[in-house]
Amino acid sequence: MRYDCVIIGGGLSGITCGIRLAEKGASCAVISTGMSALHFSSGSIDLFGHEGEGKTVFRPFEFLDDFIGSNPLHPYARCGSSQIREALFYFRDQLGREDIDLYNNDDANHFHVTTLGTLKPTFFSQRSVFNEKIRQAFEKKSKIAALNFEGYRDFYPELAVINLKRNILFRNIEIISGKILYPDYGDPRRNPFEYRSIDIARIFDTERYLEDLAAQIRAAAGDAAFAAMPAFLGITNFKRHHQLLQQLTGLLIYEIPTLPPSILGMRIDNALKSRFAALGGVYIAGDTVKSGTISGGRLESVYTENGGASALGAGNFVLASGSFFSGGLVSEFSRVREPVFGLRVHSDAERSRWYAPEFFPRDGHPFLEYGVETDERLNPLTDDGQRIANLYCIGALLPHYNPIREGSGGGVAVSTGYRAAELILAGN
Amino acid sequence: MIKLENISFDHCIKCTVCTIYCPVARATHHFPGPKQSGPDTERLRIKNPELLDDSLKYCTNCKRCEIACPSNVKIADIIQSSKWRYFKNVFRVRDFFLARTDLMGSVATRVSYLVNFFIKLFPVKFFLDRFMKIPSERRFPKYAQGTFLSWYNKHRKEQEAFAEKAVYFHGCYVNYNNHDLGKDVLTVLNAINVGVIVTDEKCCGVPLIANGYIDKARKNALFNIHSLEKSASAIGARIVSASSSCSFALKHEYPNLLEIDNSAILDDLDYITRFIHERFENGNVPAMKPVPVRAAYHSPCHLERMGGVMNTIEVLKKIPGLDLTILHSECCGIAGTYGFKKEYYKVAQKVGAELFKRIERVNPEIVITDCETCKWQIEMSTPYRVEHPVTVLARAIDGKKL
Ligand SMILES: Cc1cc2nc3c(=O)[nH]c(=O)nc-3n(C[C@H](O)[C@H](O)[C@H](O)COP(=O)(O)OP(=O)(O)OC[C@H]3O[C@@H](n4cnc5c(N)ncnc54)[C@H](O)[C@@H]3O)c2cc1C
Ligand code: SF4
Ligand code: SF4
Repeated sequence: MRYDCVIIGGGLSGITCGIRLAEKGASCAVISTGMSALHFSSGSIDLFGHEGEGKTVFRPFEFLDDFIGSNPLHPYARCGSSQIREALFYFRDQLGREDIDLYNNDDANHFHVTTLGTLKPTFFSQRSVFNEKIRQAFEKKSKIAALNFEGYRDFYPELAVINLKRNILFRNIEIISGKILYPDYGDPRRNPFEYRSIDIARIFDTERYLEDLAAQIRAAAGDAAFAAMPAFLGITNFKRHHQLLQQLTGLLIYEIPTLPPSILGMRIDNALKSRFAALGGVYIAGDTVKSGTISGGRLESVYTENGGASALGAGNFVLASGSFFSGGLVSEFSRVREPVFGLRVHSDAERSRWYAPEFFPRDGHPFLEYGVETDERLNPLTDDGQRIANLYCIGALLPHYNPIREGSGGGVAVSTGYRAAELILAGN
Repeated sequence: MIKLENISFDHCIKCTVCTIYCPVARATHHFPGPKQSGPDTERLRIKNPELLDDSLKYCTNCKRCEIACPSNVKIADIIQSSKWRYFKNVFRVRDFFLARTDLMGSVATRVSYLVNFFIKLFPVKFFLDRFMKIPSERRFPKYAQGTFLSWYNKHRKEQEAFAEKAVYFHGCYVNYNNHDLGKDVLTVLNAINVGVIVTDEKCCGVPLIANGYIDKARKNALFNIHSLEKSASAIGARIVSASSSCSFALKHEYPNLLEIDNSAILDDLDYITRFIHERFENGNVPAMKPVPVRAAYHSPCHLERMGGVMNTIEVLKKIPGLDLTILHSECCGIAGTYGFKKEYYKVAQKVGAELFKRIERVNPEIVITDCETCKWQIEMSTPYRVEHPVTVLARAIDGKKL
């Protein structure tokens, strides 16, 4: 079988790349072992949140203009700042077509509240997580009610409130916490161990209890202007539920990302796959690319676990297989390896230098900056130094950046995905 | 004793992604979901089988959890093998009959009119429901008169005359219930100049595995591997099957679940649309007449697990006039013999409800799917007729009415 482009890995970077290619008429297949890091992310897309000394970046594009010059190996430097902007707004536009509206504060970062009640700088958020009205209400110091569902264990509003109160921005804001009872909760047949965000979200997708819940939220929120709740509004129809619930309660309702599985991330995953399919892309789930045939500096075809001996050919290939977490990189005792093609990896031979002694080190763990070495066209090298001209590496697989320390994971995935698509399109 | 190779549960990072995508966990709170029934409790069961929890019987073996898992845990395999490893094997007449599709088929096809007639009668349904725990709402597939094999044997000579040939694993459903599908396979493969060879085969083992008859399943597996290998290697042919679940069993369940080495045939096995698609890609496309029908395609779970859905879709796209809507991937709920059991019937219908709704929204003239049990389930639960992709292709080739 043959496609114009085969993309290995169906996460944020792989599908963004696939959407761009498919939109331009290329026949594209995405192959993905399992679900991607989006299922664990906040669902907000970070562009650049913290610079070297841990200082918050407020205007990421301005920051990047300088940063790229002095960090030529950083994935952002492979894209260039104008293409990063193009990529991000392209991404926002594509999600908009799937009914996900992303909020951005023009060129500036905004802050979303985390499960722990800390504030995190980010570039795009879903409108139920942040929007103009929420910002205005903050500025007016309106009272907030942090509410949770009885029995839901992945969000502790009390803890969030304590942390929020430490933040200077919230010092003069009154925050109360409260509980609401999920109508199905008393069902004795319910399994108490699996009461997760997804269970709540599913019931919301049916709209069955909306009015009942609205009444409870109203009562628990008292005279607050906001109700902050764990992200729960469902996966498919959340926009409508958000509006309905705000109408029914007369409150601003905003969602706080929870521990995984993340409803907010799954919405994006859903929307991206749906957009890709609408453009004619083929998504092959549950299969793993095992190896490939490289000849004359080109990748001719790849072989998958399910496909056995039958090859999947393409003019271009994209490797978007993620970092350690997704299996794009594998660590053995004394080396880090790229398992599909054995590509050259940037890492340290000395295992003790892979990580810092603290759990949350200020400079981040070195292993987070390991990955597949590429040239400026995102082309990798084989272990014996041969450049593969039609294979492009993108996303969390790339080295020389630290998504956690910088707060740049989503932005790198989107921009390198888009960049690879542009390179492929320009080459044809 | 802990077998070292069977520790994929250790790769589990407890992310719960599998449970999100499990259609049964979505439909009922009685099932705690793949994470808990699979990797979480497997480590306990290995130590002490008494820690077995009955609820894992709710698992339908649809494999959707495995497709979703980022850590490649063979969750469904863990659950299935726990079912037969640790539950005491109590003989149930119903499960025996449901599992033995070949035995039932070979008897019923001799007296198919009688069987088809009786099975619909109220007292029979009442008896089945009350004493066999087969729900009276459940409709049965009809039995055919005689077997596909005996029809095929009359045509064997013509098929052997083709220069290129493929060995066709027809499975129980074609042999005992739906000869037409087998004939359609001949129509299509002959149209691309491939002769169809049928060899000795036994039930692939899917219903046996589901009902805990593992020794019998293993015996069948060994028989099939040997027979298919002999027949295919003699003429250098590939082995095709038009049932997504048979195909899945031959390819995946034999090595992963039954722990039987199928490497002798593995590289030659193709689900039929992959075989056809490959030939189409090489320019071997038969002349086709338009099939002006509005159709909705449903992808069966096991075909999804095999990564074969795109082949079927690509093949269907080649049929002129066919107006095709691809349905969102959902489990239909029947899961082979699962939906025939009274204790699971309601869950099965609830699992399928989302799919049925989506089909109704499209309101097609026909539904197309690769799996016979999906067909039974959709035909029983919606007003729509269901056809196999090969059948639709055969109508485009022979121009007869679909
Ligand atoms: C827990 C967590 C939270 C995060 N939170 C945020 C956040 O709030 N905001 C933000 O902007 N960023 C966040 N990030 C970072 C960001 O989500 C990731 O950097 C980004 O999603 C990476 O996307 P990717 O497509 O490169 O890789 P991934 O999302 O990791 O996807 C890789 C895919 O490739 C598949 N794969 C791997 N090997 C193969 C193979 N051989 N064959 C086929 N398929 C294969 C995997 O199954 C996986 O689906 C977070 C990351 C993590 C891990
Ligand atoms: S998806 Fe895989 S890793 Fe995650 S909980 Fe399920 S089995 Fe474990
Ligand atoms: S095989 Fe299907 S029913 Fe069983 S646990 Fe996995 S997803 Fe659920």
